[in-house]
Amino acid sequence: MILLQSHSRFLLQTLLNRLHNLDKAIELDYHWVEFDDVRYHIQVSMKNPHHVLLSVSLPTPPPETVSAFYGGLPFGALEAIKIAYSGIVQILDPPRDGFNLTLKLNLSKLPPDEEYRHAILVKIASVREVVLGAPLRVILKGLGSRTAASNLDRLVALVHRPKESFFLIPQAEKVTVVFPMRFKDSIDIVLATSFLQEFVEARRTAGLNNAPLCLWSPTPPLELKGAPAEALSANAGFVTIVIFPRHVEGKKLDRTVWSLSTFHAYVSYHVKCSEGFMHTRMRRRVESLIQALDRAKPDSENSKKTGHNASFKRLSLKEGRASRK
Amino acid sequence: MANTLRLYLTCIRNTLEAAMCLQNFPCQEVERHNKPEVELKTSPELLLNPVLICRNEAEKCLIETSINSVKQSDELENILTKKFLRFLSMRAEAFQVLRRKPVQGYDISFLITNYHCEEMQKHKLIDFIVQFMEDIDKEISELKMSVNTRGRLVATEFLKQFI
Repeated sequence: MILLQSHSRFLLQTLLNRLHNLDKAIELDYHWVEFDDVRYHIQVSMKNPHHVLLSVSLPTPPPETVSAFYGGLPFGALEAIKIAYSGIVQILDPPRDGFNLTLKLNLSKLPPDEEYRHAILVKIASVREVVLGAPLRVILKGLGSRTAASNLDRLVALVHRPKESFFLIPQAEKVTVVFPMRFKDSIDIVLATSFLQEFVEARRTAGLNNAPLCLWSPTPPLELKGAPAEALSANAGFVTIVIFPRHVEGKKLDRTVWSLSTFHAYVSYHVKCSEGFMHTRMRRRVESLIQALDRAKPDSENSKKTGHNASFKRLSLKEGRASRK
Repeated sequence: MANTLRLYLTCIRNTLEAAMCLQNFPCQEVERHNKPEVELKTSPELLLNPVLICRNEAEKCLIETSINSVKQSDELENILTKKFLRFLSMRAEAFQVLRRKPVQGYDISFLITNYHCEEMQKHKLIDFIVQFMEDIDKEISELKMSVNTRGRLVATEFLKQFI
């Protein structure tokens, strides 16, 4: 899996399981956490086996994005939920304690058509994409339809990780997205920096001429002039991606929203993968080096030789006598 | 490049061969103690002149010799090296001759005592150290390459989504 999938696999599996055994009433109560500190809670009670309560908690927003939150949800999220899940989902107000959003799903209202139903469940499992990506989606949609938004040329901060945000500068013809990249581990920083430089290199190859412009710089780019100081410290540099209307046409919008809002997770995931790969290699190398050291010990070689050596044969008494005769 | 590496390794090999004529030498200060003199440096008359072999500014190898032990340290650059060598040092007990902590200013150190020389064949031990250095050099350049290849692939796949 190179790209991150937008639906939560576990959530989809749980919903499918529930749907297959709809007539069996069971008690369900699961908590789990996904990358970027998105927490889920799903509950099904014995009384109403057709109803599923799904709660989602989002990463804590940094101070610069708090103003863009309405009732614990990012700007535009409520409308996005209503559009995406009309008819099946009811938004509970207030949400469950400690969560930003609680949805009540009515499984009996799902359409009978197998394929369509599966598509809806996948959509429900992608709830984080719908909620967290909502503000980004609104802005990119404005770009796609070329309706000049009111907040033109103003810096917009959107939360993507706990207490961290990325920035958008919407303009009439393009949207500039700036990611301050931060990593905790010193090795992560080095690997991520080399990965990010590859993004710039890869953009230059012939096949990717139409891909969005991609830039990396170790210092904050000029676009971030108005951003708060703590948002401008990034130990792995800044990535700037320029999105043009052609990147958000029609069906591409969904994918663009998802990949931009999980850009950091994507890079971090691959950094961890390559670290794992390095460890496997190093372990193998250690083994081969230990073998080389073992070769230096005379004992091990001698014992091997005696195993194969057939120059001496121990004769039993009987055989000895027989040979003398 | 490969040629300079070979010269560098040959030089290390020859120096090690000369340095590794070690004998059992009980401690002069404390009775019934037997310590690697190169580590403790208690009696200057037992130490020989250290030899420093450089491949370039960043990579060098220091060989310190005494009557019963030889210390060899090796320096390479870059974070991959650090990671790899920390990984190795953590497994030092499996290597016997590897020092758990490198000498200051270097990335990895070996401590070879007369006991190692008695236990193992000297030329093979030298072979091991030379192979070790060669392998690490190779491994690190390969690791670096694989990180870059992966980075390129990751970036390409990501950008492809927008087309």
